[in-house]
Amino acid sequence: MSDSNQDLLHTPEGLWDHYGSDLREIETVEDSILGTFHSFGFEDIKTPAFEFFDVFSKEIGTKPSRELYKFFDKDGSTLVLRPDFTPSVARCAAKYFMDDTRPLRFCYEGSVFANTTSLQGKLHESTQMGAELINDDSIYADAEMLAMLIGSLRKAGLSRFQITVGNVEYFKGICEAAGIGGETEPALREYISSKNYYAAEDLLKSRNIAPKYQETFLRITNFMKTDEDLQGVLVSAPNSRAAKAIERLIDLYRVLADYGVTDYISFDLSLLSKYQYYTGIIFKGYTYGVGDAIAAGGRYDSLLSHFGKDAPAIGFAVMIDSLMEALRSQKVSVPEGEPVETLTYTPATFAVKLREAGRLRGEGRRVQLVRG
Amino acid sequence: MDELTIALTKGRLADQTMELLEKAGYPCEELKEENRKLIFHNRDLKLNFFLSKGPDVPTYVEYGAADIGIVGSDIIMEENRRAYEVLDLGFGKCRMCVAGPESARDLLQHHEMIRVASKYPGIAREYFYNRKHQTVDIIKLNGSVELGPIVGLSDVIVDIVETGSTLKANGLTVLETICDLSARMIVNQVSMQMKTQRIQEMITNVRRALEDR
Repeated sequence: MSDSNQDLLHTPEGLWDHYGSDLREIETVEDSILGTFHSFGFEDIKTPAFEFFDVFSKEIGTKPSRELYKFFDKDGSTLVLRPDFTPSVARCAAKYFMDDTRPLRFCYEGSVFANTTSLQGKLHESTQMGAELINDDSIYADAEMLAMLIGSLRKAGLSRFQITVGNVEYFKGICEAAGIGGETEPALREYISSKNYYAAEDLLKSRNIAPKYQETFLRITNFMKTDEDLQGVLVSAPNSRAAKAIERLIDLYRVLADYGVTDYISFDLSLLSKYQYYTGIIFKGYTYGVGDAIAAGGRYDSLLSHFGKDAPAIGFAVMIDSLMEALRSQKVSVPEGEPVETLTYTPATFAVKLREAGRLRGEGRRVQLVRG
Repeated sequence: MDELTIALTKGRLADQTMELLEKAGYPCEELKEENRKLIFHNRDLKLNFFLSKGPDVPTYVEYGAADIGIVGSDIIMEENRRAYEVLDLGFGKCRMCVAGPESARDLLQHHEMIRVASKYPGIAREYFYNRKHQTVDIIKLNGSVELGPIVGLSDVIVDIVETGSTLKANGLTVLETICDLSARMIVNQVSMQMKTQRIQEMITNVRRALEDR
């Protein structure tokens, strides 16, 4: 091959080719996750890879505008390669199921795109599989989604992982009680969600927040494992909004116990998302061997109203690339599916071999015909 | 007991960190020996330590190659990586400043287009664009940043100032302070969830050792 052709072999930064056993493993994992979604009665949905900019705008609250891949269509409208499925699915549900009040269950699989900083080793195209449950605001919907997430991770071969659950309402509740708003709230949100206790403490002191609320904010970063731990927090909840947030988690824990999945659950009230559209419970999945969350989700009760349908909803996405990295570093063996068989032919034996290959393929075997 | 891997910033910061960790009950004898090893163990306590360049510490922690990192807050700000910042260790104290010749002070008052040289282009950009709303041309240098204004490459510099003696020796002064800096303990987000008990315990022990000083 000449040198000039070698230049064409590269992919842009942050984009990878997948092939061979690597791809077969990914497909096996995706099949088992999709199988779990289907077993809960979720229906596949497919939305376009790019949409109008407004679907992912600041008001909706996904990624910052500069991290989106943007381009223009012939009319000059700005288009965006989807950074996240949830707004697309919300748009789609609002469009086709506007007057439907029954619970809607959707699941999807596909690429998301992020135009992130270079040389940080982040994928610019990554695969997500997720599910959304619309028109149901009950704890049973919350528990179903969590149990389905746990079920799909187990089905994918993971055994040691943890789903950390928080409730955005608790943070909002104490902000309300302590009279924190304006510029202080997002700054505090940032510090609390990055567990930066002392910066949060400084900020609260400099804003003259009453000491009893300062303490409540700083205690928010404690981890909790059971509903008893939550009861402890409930006693000191400063107002009814914060108390309701905790009560919801306690009720949720009870339903999760019915599902038999509480071993995988822990609570962290400082869990807050960069995605502004989350309104209630919020969760992230973690496991050994990978530096990033393998799953993330939460309740987004006001997102659909941006598209004209007032409906509660909850959803999550599994980050397939992180999950694969975790499975590999935990040395979980993923079955690669049916092996390929080879039949060798010569011009003289071709007709016979072709018939044999046809018969084997009919039985569902994978057969390659190779010239001998 | 979960194994913990700790990334240290090479140099004086590592010495100060080990002094503190030893007091908190996390010693590493191997680190005190003179050799060319890159990774050090305390097998009894299931601890691994390694030394790396400052800017790489947040990278190791973000990817989970290290559970915990000790690094200056200048680097945390510049690298902007995802990790929990859990403790201010109080040592390695200095300031991030805008410095230049006294004559450049006026250039910072009127949103003028100026040239800024820095080892920290990220911090410089954030400060001038988002806090001062001044459009600037940022030039990345890799060391001896003080040279910038002296040889006429830039109007001012953004750099760490500890005592100010290097600035003074070269006829420069601190014009504005961007923020205070010190050494911080950062934790990988996943490790915090998966090894909660051990990491929380370590944070508590280190905090206690800090208070005793």
